[in-house]
Amino acid sequence: MEKAKKTKLKGNALQQTEFTLGLIIIILFVAASIFTDNFCTLYNITNLMKQCAIIGVMAAAQTIIIITGGIDISGGAITGLSCMALALLQRNTNMNFVLTLTIALVIGVAVGFLNGIIIFDLKVPPMIATLGMQTIVRGFVKIISNALTVTGINQHILNMGNTNLFGVLPVLAIFWAVVAVAIWFILKYTIFGRSLYVVGSGVEVARLSGIKVRKMFYATYAAAGLLYGIAGIMLAARVQSALPTGGEGYDMNAIAAAVIGGASLTGGKGTITGTVLGTILMVLINNAGVQFGLNTHVLEITSGVLIIFAVTMDMLKNRKKA
Amino acid sequence: MQDTILKIENISKFYPGVTALNNVSFEIKAGEVRALCGENGAGKSTLIKCIMGVERADEGKILMNYNGEWVENTNALKAQSHGVYANYQHVNIAPELSIAENYYLGRQPKGKFGRVDWKRMYRDSQKIIDKFGMSVNPRQKISSLPIAMQAMVTISKISVSDDLKIVIFDEPTALLENEKVETLYKFIKELKNNGVSIIYISHRLEEIMDICDNVTILKDGTYIDTKAIADVTKDSLINMMVGRELSDIYNIKKQEQGEELLRVGNFSDSLHFKNINFSLHSGEIIGFAGLVGAGRSEIMRALCGVEKRLSGDVYVRGKKVDIKDPASALEHGIGFLTEDRLTDGLALSLPIKTNINMNSYDMISKRSIISLKRESERAKKYSKDVNVKTPSMMQLAGNLSGGNQQKVVIAKLLCRDPDILIFDEPTVGVDVGAKEEIYKIMENLIAKGKGIILISSYLPEVMGLSDRLFVMAQGRITGEFNLNEITDLNEEDVLKKASDEG
Repeated sequence: MEKAKKTKLKGNALQQTEFTLGLIIIILFVAASIFTDNFCTLYNITNLMKQCAIIGVMAAAQTIIIITGGIDISGGAITGLSCMALALLQRNTNMNFVLTLTIALVIGVAVGFLNGIIIFDLKVPPMIATLGMQTIVRGFVKIISNALTVTGINQHILNMGNTNLFGVLPVLAIFWAVVAVAIWFILKYTIFGRSLYVVGSGVEVARLSGIKVRKMFYATYAAAGLLYGIAGIMLAARVQSALPTGGEGYDMNAIAAAVIGGASLTGGKGTITGTVLGTILMVLINNAGVQFGLNTHVLEITSGVLIIFAVTMDMLKNRKKA
Repeated sequence: MQDTILKIENISKFYPGVTALNNVSFEIKAGEVRALCGENGAGKSTLIKCIMGVERADEGKILMNYNGEWVENTNALKAQSHGVYANYQHVNIAPELSIAENYYLGRQPKGKFGRVDWKRMYRDSQKIIDKFGMSVNPRQKISSLPIAMQAMVTISKISVSDDLKIVIFDEPTALLENEKVETLYKFIKELKNNGVSIIYISHRLEEIMDICDNVTILKDGTYIDTKAIADVTKDSLINMMVGRELSDIYNIKKQEQGEELLRVGNFSDSLHFKNINFSLHSGEIIGFAGLVGAGRSEIMRALCGVEKRLSGDVYVRGKKVDIKDPASALEHGIGFLTEDRLTDGLALSLPIKTNINMNSYDMISKRSIISLKRESERAKKYSKDVNVKTPSMMQLAGNLSGGNQQKVVIAKLLCRDPDILIFDEPTVGVDVGAKEEIYKIMENLIAKGKGIILISSYLPEVMGLSDRLFVMAQGRITGEFNLNEITDLNEEDVLKKASDEG
């Protein structure tokens, strides 16, 4: 009995990661609340949630990709593209509002799908395929925007970025929550979600188990593209304009959030709960650090150390088991 | 004049649940060509690994006469520095480097200032290439060569070493073209004349009769005998290698044959098999015997859509079906336990629960939403059915022992509940106890009206279990036997069919 309990605890390494992350977040939160004046204010907390929201949605996309053993560094660029397309359509045309949103999402899906084709059919490693795609998309965004910031975004979107439900809950954070719950459900309850883990554990294993691997790759990268499209709309709301460099640097934060949350770049491992906590921790360190009066450059270093530390812990845990 | 170069003294080697070598002793003389004979699993490979210092024997020792001194090669590096060289079955070369670089890997000729003397390296390499009659350029990348040529490069690489004492050839001709075999023979004679001892392993007994001086026979990890080649015939060799009665563990309850489940007609691919016809009935086990490389696994891989086929038809329950990929094979009720099941049957980083269910999630979901309850129930039921030993269904497959991993793969197959089951070498690397459990599972399956295709290189097993037996050689079915004929069959007959050149 005693023994069975012990093994159960050990078997759920991921839950341990999540427990540790939760603990660190709480400690950091409490400490910042006690020792600084401006951390635990309504303004800062809503701001914190907004900061989390866009990275959180992109990190959710990274999570499903990393589970399959891939990685996507074109996420920031695709987000920027969706954001820019939305802004241009709304400023330059009389197109129906809903249609502009749809097009922004479809663009994300299309580019993601293209990533899937390049990675599965052309056999380009995900890192390289998405690096190429990032560069292509960035160039494309600068062409369609003449490398200028575009304003004139629809008032609904602008309002969305500034609205807090009940005065405390930013609408952007609700987007994030909905995405996170949806991905949680998919990973836990659907055949697609389970198959992601199997693909990440070994493509040949998956194929022989009757999983249609090609479809899985297309669907995964297209789904990620959809999430980038959503993130692009959120970005337009948050920045209140579309920058030609929009979304830059977000990929790395999103990947880091997923990895800190326990997703393994070797594939077959990762949870959305972990990623959500990883996102919060990444953003919290920066936010609280600034409140503590730490130099932002020092905080950058801290984030980097955290990433390496998280992965090292994960490796050590695996080695002990083997 | 002939001194002993290698003394193998009371060697035993145990793996979990398996005795690979049991108190084996013999000696090899300098300049001798010694054949090592035995069935799959007789312990040849393990013995070679011990001689090479790659594995340590659990009991006994292997002594080597190195310039008059008796030394023990306790690791691979020592063996190498004492001039022991093995030409492994699986081509072990760096595929992205050139032929010349592979020849001189780690011992490149040095020029001024310690730089690599490329000119000399290419010149010397060309000499070796000429000597072995290969039509290649030393600058060519290994990966650009056909497999047969790659095998020749590995063999010719041996001649680069000058201080050789013992050279081990493990199935050297498996990949060679016929005319190159002669070149190999010439090279072996040359090595022998220089006083080098050869250990030669091959399934092709004619080769052993052609090239070897003496032959040592192993069976089930024990030493049987050593004879001069002049004193043996092919038949007497086979007798010594096999020499054993069909044991009771193969005695499973036979079933009446029911309807036809599967028929395969005129099945061919471009390379591995030609014009294959067979059928499988409910309640029946059909066996495929043959040597490694006869094309048996390839047929099944093509049948299940793992690999492409060129031509041929597949009928399931009399209806013609088109199987494009493993997914459609499963949809048509064909389940495949692959030969490399531990690498391509298991998701090591995932829990047992997922592994058992992963090819049958569609059976426990509605609108592609999985019933977690049924997932757990099925994992528990099937892991119990095959007796997987684990504290929890959440245990990662990678943390299980080899035998338990094997069982999880079988549980996964049973969980899908296919009507046609293909077992490709189901008992390789499995101890006797687990073997019996697997046979029991097969017995239960045919009692439920399933049909089983069994591929096995182990003759007692495939002959003992099959209701009908097919023997294959070089991509063709060379013999077909029904139950009555199998009973009268002896292993020699099957081996003859399996090595049928025509």
